[in-house]
Amino acid sequence: MSDGTITIDGRPVPFDKGDTIIKAAYEAGIEIPHYCWHPGLSAPANCRMCLVEIEPPPGRDPLTLDILRWDAEKNDYVPTKKVKLLPACQQACSEGLSVKSDTSAEVDTARHAVQEFLLLNHPVDCPICDQAGECKLQDYWLEHQSSKKRMSEEPVHKPKGVVFGETIIYDAERCIMCTRCIRVSDEVAKDPVLDMRERGNRNEIVLSPGRTLDHNYSLMTEHVCPVGALTSSHFRFKARVWFLRSGDTVCQGCATGCSAHLDYDPRDNTAYRYRPRDNKAVNGYWMCDVGMLSYPEAHEARIERARVHGKDAELVDAIAQAKKLFSSHASDPSRIAIVLGARHSNEDNQALARVAKIYLGATHFYLSRRKDGHADDILMVADRNSNAAGVHEIARNLGLGDVRSLADLVRDIAALRIDFVISLGADIDGDESEAMDQLRRVKGFVAIAAHEGPLAKAAHVVLPAASWAESPGTYVNRNGIAQITEGVLKPRGDAHPAWQLVIALTRALGYEVGWKKRGDLQAGEAAQ
Amino acid sequence: MATDNMTWTKAASKTPVPTHTIARPSRTLGVQSYVPELLKGTALTMRHFFTNAKERLLGQKRDPVLDNFEGGITTIEYPEERRIYPERFRGLHRLTVRADDSPRCVACLCCSTACPAQCIHIEPAEYADGDERRGYERFPAAFVIDELRCVFCGFCVEACPCDAIRMDTGLHPVPYDSRDQFIYDKTQLLALTAPDGTRRTDNARHEPGDPTHPGLSRDHDAH
Repeated sequence: MSDGTITIDGRPVPFDKGDTIIKAAYEAGIEIPHYCWHPGLSAPANCRMCLVEIEPPPGRDPLTLDILRWDAEKNDYVPTKKVKLLPACQQACSEGLSVKSDTSAEVDTARHAVQEFLLLNHPVDCPICDQAGECKLQDYWLEHQSSKKRMSEEPVHKPKGVVFGETIIYDAERCIMCTRCIRVSDEVAKDPVLDMRERGNRNEIVLSPGRTLDHNYSLMTEHVCPVGALTSSHFRFKARVWFLRSGDTVCQGCATGCSAHLDYDPRDNTAYRYRPRDNKAVNGYWMCDVGMLSYPEAHEARIERARVHGKDAELVDAIAQAKKLFSSHASDPSRIAIVLGARHSNEDNQALARVAKIYLGATHFYLSRRKDGHADDILMVADRNSNAAGVHEIARNLGLGDVRSLADLVRDIAALRIDFVISLGADIDGDESEAMDQLRRVKGFVAIAAHEGPLAKAAHVVLPAASWAESPGTYVNRNGIAQITEGVLKPRGDAHPAWQLVIALTRALGYEVGWKKRGDLQAGEAAQ
Repeated sequence: MATDNMTWTKAASKTPVPTHTIARPSRTLGVQSYVPELLKGTALTMRHFFTNAKERLLGQKRDPVLDNFEGGITTIEYPEERRIYPERFRGLHRLTVRADDSPRCVACLCCSTACPAQCIHIEPAEYADGDERRGYERFPAAFVIDELRCVFCGFCVEACPCDAIRMDTGLHPVPYDSRDQFIYDKTQLLALTAPDGTRRTDNARHEPGDPTHPGLSRDHDAH
């Protein structure tokens, strides 16, 4: 519920108490041009791009400034008045405020002037700049300036290619001193490692003495940089952004499940980077470096071909082999172990869990998950699995009982209680060598996995699953928020969505499964 | 198969096509023996033979290219003789170089973006730290043009912000005997020159010694 309404160019825009004009406009989907303002950061109002005209209350004169304006007839400057413009990122909203943004000639002039000023010393090295194509200087030049540079002097030259840290390279010539990167370090990462030195055209961003930009949110400085001053050493010179397409996805780095854009090149079917996707309920506007740099998981250490006893095989042959291995599974369902995957989507787990409960009658359920990592108190949590909460929810809804750890599975195999294993995912979070010894002793072991891991090494039959980037799926984060990823990449090699492999495997074992589409699996557990 | 209801074919005309009859040539003894015509033809051939022989011996041979602008037909002896191409003829591509022999190309991929035939493949790379050309930052590690795919539209030259690619070599790809020979890599493209044999451009911007040269060692306080 909003606390009032302002008008921007005649359009009513609701606002909450304490909102600035630019924030209210942003929430309403109206763009007021800006460089230094960011919805997730404080507003220093130093770029002056968001200047707007605020109409005076009825019966009052507008705020004006005394200026000298060039008069061509008199061939001299004449004193005159002009409307005083206010930065939309500082001016708070109040009921009935009327703002002129795109409809004011004064604002147009101001934007043109600010844009020209910011480009005064810009090197215009767009050909070698990674930001080209998504640069605000380019966009706003086209929108608000579209004129040639009037200054004929050589622009001021400043350091280029300064290495700030392992992830970030800084170019002072391109920098417009919006201080977003400084504020990200101060306010998001809580590590004030960046600052600004000198003044005017010698201004540049510097590191604290003796430091490098090494906090876990360093790539956010690059993400917020509206120009090409900060570039990521991982993305640097790898791709041109106009070749990239973008899909909505969920970061698989930890149980926070940050909303992200996965930028990929459809021509070579390769992911090139993550960008955080605004989602107030999950990650706000940010992602940590560990998550940002986890995009190569879309193609690294992938299982692309089916395997039978460690040798590559056709998918049909692998499934036939699985059928052979599982020929005696029906005699005692309690000897079947089902390993659900904490890094697989709800659909994949749903398929395996339902098959296990309804057709196989399995009673032992375990969870394959990655080892815990370290956590920060910002976004990253220790649980490195994207969907552990989702698996537990499915287990609860289907009444599977306890979903135990893989260490329990190893103990159960050692106690000769398990003969058959079907696993989703290939991760072991406990002691690997002991687990491998035990897992090799079972009669039949089928692993359905997207990535290489100890379970895939131990399994008799490995079926290649599509990754989160290749097939749409639902992931539930640690706070129980479900998000859907888009499958934007084409599955590599023989990979198929894991739920399809589960269905194929079930059919091979002689059961007719009712569902065919992903929607059948989402439709709710009550259906089957 | 054409049918009556095919409206897109022209209907056959009902009126007969107008014709006129050409009289048969007279079959005199001279015509029937072929001898006068044979001599006539031999005479023409021999006249050209002696004219050419005389011109060649005396060094008076006329310029076939200039002759081309006059009436009549002149045969030239390609490939020993070649017509002069117009100044703006778009030939094989070449990559220009800076004064320090580094390619001017910064691998911005504007040319391959503009290319309608998608025949340009570029892999960008970065000059290593400590390299004296580090200031240029980017260079093409690979630059490959498939001249068979190329449609010689010149968009790549138009798109280039660095004057790094030109089509002013005056060459067209000679007929090779396999397709892979039409794939020109960076070394081949850099080796090609303008018709006057030069490899550089007139654009001095960013050359070493020029104030715009992007070197990291520039004195920050000199301004």
